[in-house]
Amino acid sequence: MMHCTMDDLIALRDGEGSREAQRHLAECAACRAEFESLHQRGAALKALPALRPPRERWSAVRAEIEGARRRRRRGVFAWGSLVAAAAAVGVIGVQAARLRSAADASAADLRALVEQSQRLEEALRAYDPTSRVLNGRAASAVAEIEDRIAVIDLGLAEAQSGGASRAELLELWRQRVQLMDELVRVHVTRAAYVGL
Amino acid sequence: MLAALDDLAIQRAKTGDLEALEQVYRAYEGVVYTLARRICRTAEDAEDVLQETFLEVCRSIGRFRGTEPGSLTAWIKRVAASKALMRVRREKYREADDLSDGDEVLGRRDPDVALQLDLEEALGRLSDRSRTVVWLHDVEGYTHEDIAELMGMTVSFSKSQLARAHSRLRGWLGREPV
Repeated sequence: MMHCTMDDLIALRDGEGSREAQRHLAECAACRAEFESLHQRGAALKALPALRPPRERWSAVRAEIEGARRRRRRGVFAWGSLVAAAAAVGVIGVQAARLRSAADASAADLRALVEQSQRLEEALRAYDPTSRVLNGRAASAVAEIEDRIAVIDLGLAEAQSGGASRAELLELWRQRVQLMDELVRVHVTRAAYVGL
Repeated sequence: MLAALDDLAIQRAKTGDLEALEQVYRAYEGVVYTLARRICRTAEDAEDVLQETFLEVCRSIGRFRGTEPGSLTAWIKRVAASKALMRVRREKYREADDLSDGDEVLGRRDPDVALQLDLEEALGRLSDRSRTVVWLHDVEGYTHEDIAELMGMTVSFSKSQLARAHSRLRGWLGREPV
């Protein structure tokens, strides 16, 4: 056999060498020297010092994670806040009209629902669920409730722009308050089952 | 050297706890940066890979199911290697030494007048692919099958790149590594 190639030597080192290569290595001092050199190179590579990143990167990683979490929450709550604010403006107008109309009992109900929804959102924000731990089932329940709230918010936005009746708005806000209440409960109690 | 990271910290990290995720980062930043730096051409790229790796780790650690000792290390290293390879491909580094066949170059070079580079410098002279293969195989202990899968190449390609890398290192370093 001719001298071992680098492929042969690496295969021998990795325990995959042919019998012929093994025999040659046993007989050839030059190839044994190359084989030893290959081992030494491998050892030298492994002995290279570990490197440290020159700059701190955790703060950037953390900022990006927190930003993603905020964006996710805003995806649910921004609509809610926007609609709530729009409704509140409407409620002020309704409040003035209340003095003039006996039918304005529903306006007070609407205002109460909007305020209740806002209080629940505030309570949830104060609870800071992003900093807390949820088990998998609770997290799944939260995601489902948030999705349903997003659908309600869409309905509210359409109802506002389409001049929906007071009764329709009341129903949407009732549903929203109920879902917000469930969302707060599932975060606080971490209950996996909230009657969905 | 890995900093101590207990099971509780790992479990908390899986739930998204930022303090626990930072512990994971602190434990692995050196490992990930070293791996990234050996694959990428520049320190800046390696830093970006470090950041991308931990963003991926933070997003995905909740789905990590490994329980064997060392499985978290292996997973994080694999994420890092994958990100580093993506970075190398994205940057379209010039494979300068692929323009001329390395074995021919080595064949023409008298071993006695081999360039006396130090090992780090010699590693840096290898093509990105050769350097990646020699590092992943000889230092990180990846099999040729692992490397082929990671790089989207064949097993024989991985083997030939390893032999090519060692031939060049031998030529540049002389018989004894400096």
